[in-house]
Amino acid sequence: MSVLDVLRRVSEPIARISRRPPPPDDGELFDDEFQRKLEYLAIVSRRVFAGRLRAERRTKKSGSGVEFADHRDYAPGDDFRSLDWNVYQRFGRLLVRLFEEEEDLSIYLVIDASSSMAFSSQRKFRYAQRLTAALAYVGLANLDRITIVATTDRVEERMPTARGKARIFKVFQFLRGLEPAGTTDLGDAMKTFVAQHKRRGLVVLLSDLYDPHGFERGINVLRYNKFEPFVLHVVDESEGGPKLTGDVRIYDCETGEERDVTVTPKVLSQFKASYQSYLAEVRKFCTDRQVPYVPAEVSVPFDDLVLRVLRRGGFLT
Amino acid sequence: MHFYGLPGSTLIAIGAAGAVAIVSLYVLKLRRRPVPVPFVRIWQRILREKEATSLFSQLKRLLSLLVQLALLALLVLALGDPRGFASNKARNVVVLVDASASMKAVDVASALNPNYARIDAAKDEVKRLVRGLGGSDRMLIAQMDAGVTPLSTMTGEVADLDQAVSLVRATDSRADFPRALRFAADVLLGLSSPEIVIVSDGNLGEPRDAAGEVHLGQVAVSFVPIGKGGRNIAITGFSVRRYPLDRDRYEVMLDLYNASKEPEEIELNLLGDGNFVDVTKLKLNPGERLPRFYPNLSGARRTLEATIKPVSGGHDDLPADDHAYALLPDQRRIRVLCVTRGNTYLEASLLLTTYLDVTYVAPSDYPVKAQSFDVTIFDDVTPPVAEGSGSVFYLDPSGESSPVKVDPAPLVNVGFDTLDKKSPFLRWTAVDDVYVGRAHRLIPEPGDKVIGASEKGALLLTGRRAGRRFLALGFNPKDSDFVLRIAWPLFVLNVLTEFVAEDPSYLSSFRTGEVWHVAVPTLSDEVWLSAPGAPSPKRVPVQDGRAVYLGLDAGFYTLEAGPRGAAVKSEFAANLADADESAIEPVAALTVDGKTTGAVEGFHVGVRSEWWIALLLLAVAITTVEWATYHRRITV
Repeated sequence: MSVLDVLRRVSEPIARISRRPPPPDDGELFDDEFQRKLEYLAIVSRRVFAGRLRAERRTKKSGSGVEFADHRDYAPGDDFRSLDWNVYQRFGRLLVRLFEEEEDLSIYLVIDASSSMAFSSQRKFRYAQRLTAALAYVGLANLDRITIVATTDRVEERMPTARGKARIFKVFQFLRGLEPAGTTDLGDAMKTFVAQHKRRGLVVLLSDLYDPHGFERGINVLRYNKFEPFVLHVVDESEGGPKLTGDVRIYDCETGEERDVTVTPKVLSQFKASYQSYLAEVRKFCTDRQVPYVPAEVSVPFDDLVLRVLRRGGFLT
Repeated sequence: MHFYGLPGSTLIAIGAAGAVAIVSLYVLKLRRRPVPVPFVRIWQRILREKEATSLFSQLKRLLSLLVQLALLALLVLALGDPRGFASNKARNVVVLVDASASMKAVDVASALNPNYARIDAAKDEVKRLVRGLGGSDRMLIAQMDAGVTPLSTMTGEVADLDQAVSLVRATDSRADFPRALRFAADVLLGLSSPEIVIVSDGNLGEPRDAAGEVHLGQVAVSFVPIGKGGRNIAITGFSVRRYPLDRDRYEVMLDLYNASKEPEEIELNLLGDGNFVDVTKLKLNPGERLPRFYPNLSGARRTLEATIKPVSGGHDDLPADDHAYALLPDQRRIRVLCVTRGNTYLEASLLLTTYLDVTYVAPSDYPVKAQSFDVTIFDDVTPPVAEGSGSVFYLDPSGESSPVKVDPAPLVNVGFDTLDKKSPFLRWTAVDDVYVGRAHRLIPEPGDKVIGASEKGALLLTGRRAGRRFLALGFNPKDSDFVLRIAWPLFVLNVLTEFVAEDPSYLSSFRTGEVWHVAVPTLSDEVWLSAPGAPSPKRVPVQDGRAVYLGLDAGFYTLEAGPRGAAVKSEFAANLADADESAIEPVAALTVDGKTTGAVEGFHVGVRSEWWIALLLLAVAITTVEWATYHRRITV
C-alpha cells in the first residue's frame, strides 16, 4: 500500500462529508404545501374578481384614461385637446374633460416585527409572515405593485417594490430574513413610512397592535396621508387567558415594564374581560373610521383568513 | 403545667430555628416569579383596581406568616408534651403481673391460637389497662415470679408501658407474692391515689412472709383474674443418684401429683440420654400425690428426663410441669498414682471400686514422666511434688518436702479426740475410737484446716499448697487399727472423690425459684451460664467457688468456667417441682391485708387527654385551613 493509497483512504470520508447536500432551509414557513395554497388563493382571487382586467383599478387621480370622470375649468397650460367643445357651445364656458387614470395598484404590506409578535413561540409573527406572503402572492399574481415593510418603532426593513408572480421568492427571502425584536411605535414607524413612500396606495397593517403609545396613532398617520389602511389584527387568543397562578411579577416583553400581580381566578377573569375589551376598542376604532378591519386569529388557517380578507373587500378592488 | 417531652432549652432551640426557617421561607415565598407578558397595559387596567386593596393584601400576607408561626409554636409545644398539674384524681398504679409457672397454662387457648397461655391473656389485660390510663395517671409494671422485676418506671408514657408489657415472660418458678406486695407498697409510698393491680390466676399463696403479714394501708388493691381451667397432672419431684460403689447403676425417685378434680390415667416415661428406660401407666385420683421409686436402673450415662401425658392423648392445661430433668454425676474414672513401697491395706481399699485407674510406683520411680494424675498418694514417703500429680494424699509425711511441719517427736498410743464430722473426708465413717500406736504431730499453717486431732496435736489436716489440695494423715495406717476397720476404705474413697470434686450428695437437679449455688469446676471467677432457651450465655457471680444464680427456668443448664476458649464445662438440671404451683385452678378473688380485692375500675380506653394530641390536631387543622385559603388566594 502506497502513501497515496493511504491518503486517498483518509481523504475519502472527508470528501464524502464535503459532498453532502447543504442542510435543508427553513421549509416549515414557506414549504411546498404553502406554495400550493398560494396558487390556489391566486386562482380563487381571480374568480372572485372575474371580468376585471389587469391593472384597471381606478385611482382618484385623473389622467389619461378613456373613461370620463369630470370637468374642471380650463387653466392656462392645459392641453387643448382636453377642452370639451360641446359644453363650450352650450354654456359658453371653457371646461377641461377629466378622465380617470387607470394604473396598477400599490399595495404596501406592513408587518409588525416587534418583540410582542414573537410572544408564544413566535406564533403571531410566523402567522403574520405567512399572511404577508399569501397576500403578496395574490397581489403579485394580479400584477399589483407589492411593497413589504417591516416595522417596530421605526421602519426596520423594506423589500423593494415587486410585480409579477415570479417575484414571490424574493418575498419569501425577505420575510425569512425578518427577526422580531424591539418595541412597537406604530405612529413613528408610519410617519417614516409615509415619508419614504410618496405613491399612495393600500397599506395592509399586520400587527398585534400592542403599541404602548396607542395603536390609533399609526392608523391615523396613514389616514391623514391619503393611504388606505387595512388592518389585519393578528390575535393569539391564548394571550387572553394566560395560564398563571400565584404571586408573579409580570413584565412587558418589549418595554420591560414590571407589575406585581397575585393571580387568582378572579384576576384571570378580569384580565380576560380586559383583553376582550381591548380587542373591541380596536374594532370600534377601525369601524368608526371606516378602516377595514379583520381580526387574524392565529388558530385560523391562514388560507381561510386570506379568503375572508378577499371577500371582506377593500383589498384588490 | 409540666413538660414531659423534650427539655425546655431544646424546645426553645427548635422553636427559634423553626421560626428563622419559616420567616426565611416566607421571604422566599414572597419573591415573585417573573413572567413575561406581551402587553402589560392590558394588565394595568385591572391592577389599578387591585392596588386599592393592597393594604388589606399586606395584612393578609402578615396574617399568613402569623398563622405559620402559630403552627410552629403549636408543634414545638406538642414536642414538649405538656401536661396539667397532677390533680388529686391522678392515680399512681403498680401492676404486678404474675409470671409464675402456672401462668404458662394454656387453658385460655382457642382452636385458632392453641399456644395462647395465661401469661398472654395477662399481657393483653395489662395492655387494656395501659390504654385506659387517664391523662395524668402513671403506672409501673412489674413482673412477679421468684423475685420482683420492675419493667418500667412510674410513667404515663404508653409506649414505655407497652414496651414493659412486651418484656413480661412466664418462668418456671412460683411467685413471691409477699415480696411483690411489699415492693409495690414501697413504690407507692407518698404518692397520690395509690393503687396496686394484680394480674394473676390467683395461685399466689398467702401474703405473709417471715416479717409477717403484708400491710398496705390506704393503697387500693384490684385483681384481674386470669384463667378458667384446672386440669393438671404434674411431676413434683425428680431426683437420681448413682450407687457409690456401682457407678453404672442408679436409682430414681419421682413424685407425681394430680391437681385435677377428676381422676387421671397417665403414661409415665423415663428417658435416659434420650432413650426410653422405663414406661409406666398410672392412675391418679383427684388431689393424689404418688411417689415412685425406681431402684437399680441402668442404661443412662448423663441425662435423665421424666415425662407424663394423659393416656387419652393431648396434654393437660399446664404442660410445663409434665417434664422433669436430672443429670447423673460424671462417670469419669479417677487416675490415681500410688507411690509406695507396698501397702496391702491401701491397695485393698483401692480395689473397692472399678472407677479407679491406679498406677503403683516405687518411691525411686517418682515422678512418672509424661503422665498426669488426679490424685497422688504418698505412702510413708514425702518427695517433692512433681507437675501432673494432682491433689496429694500424704500418709505419715516427713522431711523438708512435707506440706506441713511434722513434729519429729512421736506420739504414742493416741486417737482422734476431736473430729470435724462434717468434713466430706469423714463422710459415712466412724473413726472416733481408732487406736494409733505411733504418730507424729502435724503443725498446721494459716489456712489449713484440722480435721482430726488428738489431745497432743493435729493428726489429720487439709489445705492448699501452690494451688494444690492436700490431705495429710499424721501416722502410718499400718501403725493403727484404722486399716482393720470398714471406715478405712470409705475414708480412702472419700479422699479420692473429694479431690476430684465428686460429691456423693450430688444434686441431680436444682429447684427453680431458688438461688442456686453451683459448684464451679475450676478456680476461675469467670463463669458463664447457658440457661435453657437462652440465646447466649450469661456471666454469673462466683462466691466461695460456687456460681450464684437465681434459677427461674426448668431444663438443662451448662456452666462454663474459665476464659473463653479454654473454659471447663459442666452441666446441671433444674425442675419446677412445686405442687402448689401445679395446682392451677384459678382463684376468683384474692384477700390482701384482710380485705378482698375488687375488680379494676376507672380504666377506660380513650380517657387519656394528653395535650400534645390536641395540639397536634389543632396544628393539622390550622395547616389545612392555611393550605386551603392559600391556594384559594384568600390569605395572600
